[in-house]
Amino acid sequence: MARRRTTTVSTGTSGTRGTSRTTGTSGTRGTSRTTGTRNPTLLAALALVVCAAGAAGWGGWQRYEASHDDAASFAQARDDALAAGEQAVQNMNTLDHKELEQGLDSWEQSTTGDLRRQLVDGRDDFARQIAEAKTVSTAKVLSGAVTELDERAGRAGVMVALRVTVTAPKGEPAVKESRLLGTLTRTSGGWKLSALGQAPVGSTGG
Amino acid sequence: MSTTRHLVNRRRRLATTPSRTPGAGAEPAYGQPEAGQEPEAAASAAPNTDTADDSRADEAPRPSRLRVTLPAVLCALTVLLGAVAVWAFASASSLRDEPARQNAALTDIGRTSEVKGRISEAVGAVFSYDYASPARSDRAASTYLTGRAVQQHKDMLADVREQAPKQKLVLTTTVTESGVEFLDGDRARLLIFADQSNTRTGKDEETTYAAAMFAVDAVRRGDTWLIAAIDTFTR
Repeated sequence: MARRRTTTVSTGTSGTRGTSRTTGTSGTRGTSRTTGTRNPTLLAALALVVCAAGAAGWGGWQRYEASHDDAASFAQARDDALAAGEQAVQNMNTLDHKELEQGLDSWEQSTTGDLRRQLVDGRDDFARQIAEAKTVSTAKVLSGAVTELDERAGRAGVMVALRVTVTAPKGEPAVKESRLLGTLTRTSGGWKLSALGQAPVGSTGG
Repeated sequence: MSTTRHLVNRRRRLATTPSRTPGAGAEPAYGQPEAGQEPEAAASAAPNTDTADDSRADEAPRPSRLRVTLPAVLCALTVLLGAVAVWAFASASSLRDEPARQNAALTDIGRTSEVKGRISEAVGAVFSYDYASPARSDRAASTYLTGRAVQQHKDMLADVREQAPKQKLVLTTTVTESGVEFLDGDRARLLIFADQSNTRTGKDEETTYAAAMFAVDAVRRGDTWLIAAIDTFTR
């Protein structure tokens, strides 16, 4: 019953609305109003434009946030430092006596600061030793991780698990695994090793 | 409705026409019934155009032009803005999906130090063995290990377990250095450098130190991290 009533009421109101509308539109006023209301496609198009503008604005904001994310640039610096650190450590443990100069050049290119100075100073002596021993060293990075990263100061600490194979002219190749700790410094040419050493053994064991 | 306007217009016409058709003002001439009707027809047609002109003279030409250009402009705008939106979202999500961003090692300082601390503790507990209390080692294994790591640990400590009672072995493992290689949600991989001191508490006490390095896969269960796999870099 209630439903019926409401339906009759609604039809009644719609009927009156309809008549009032027809009386309103008839006449000169109606023609001027039609440009706004008689074009639903125009309204729909406007709504679509507004929606598209909203979506574009939102998307733009999302993109801006994604590209100006501090954590993201930090993560990128971390990965860059690790990649450079692993490559540098590998370079520093790879040396072929037949390509001595090339190898030692790559050592110097991988380093900076004190470590580079030491290498440059000791280069001649070291080259002589390797030329006499006629050894070939190849290194493989087993695993590496960044232990600390100061993006602003441009310093990073890395730890690398390395397997070095040293082949002498006589005898079996010697395989040695080493635990290396390195410090990287950011230069204009990217991250470079400024310190490298074996992780000490037995220092905390006692 | 039309009749009143009709009349008004007719009157207007009649007021202006006499100069053109004299005599038609009072009574139309006999032979020219059409002459009288013609202005009337013209008048009946004129009001419509007249009123239409009144309202549309200013506006009609513009909407007709707008009706062509405005939807086209709106359409182009929608397509353009839609394309911008699609590009922006795609680019934002591809930026977010970069592998560097998936890895929260060091970027999430809290989680990084949490997993480091917890796994260092776990490694120390799991790889320490005292011949006097072998149960402690078993307890450590059951609290800190899960999955593949359980069997790996059993294999690794098999020799120690066998020799410990005879040699009165005390194996102590201390993590000296640890780094998080990868951290994503509840999975992590760490590189561990550890020192192992092996003490024989027999007649002559003797301690040997060994350097160990291995990687650990960790999973988060509840609010703690467990060792799921141990990678000793064997060839």
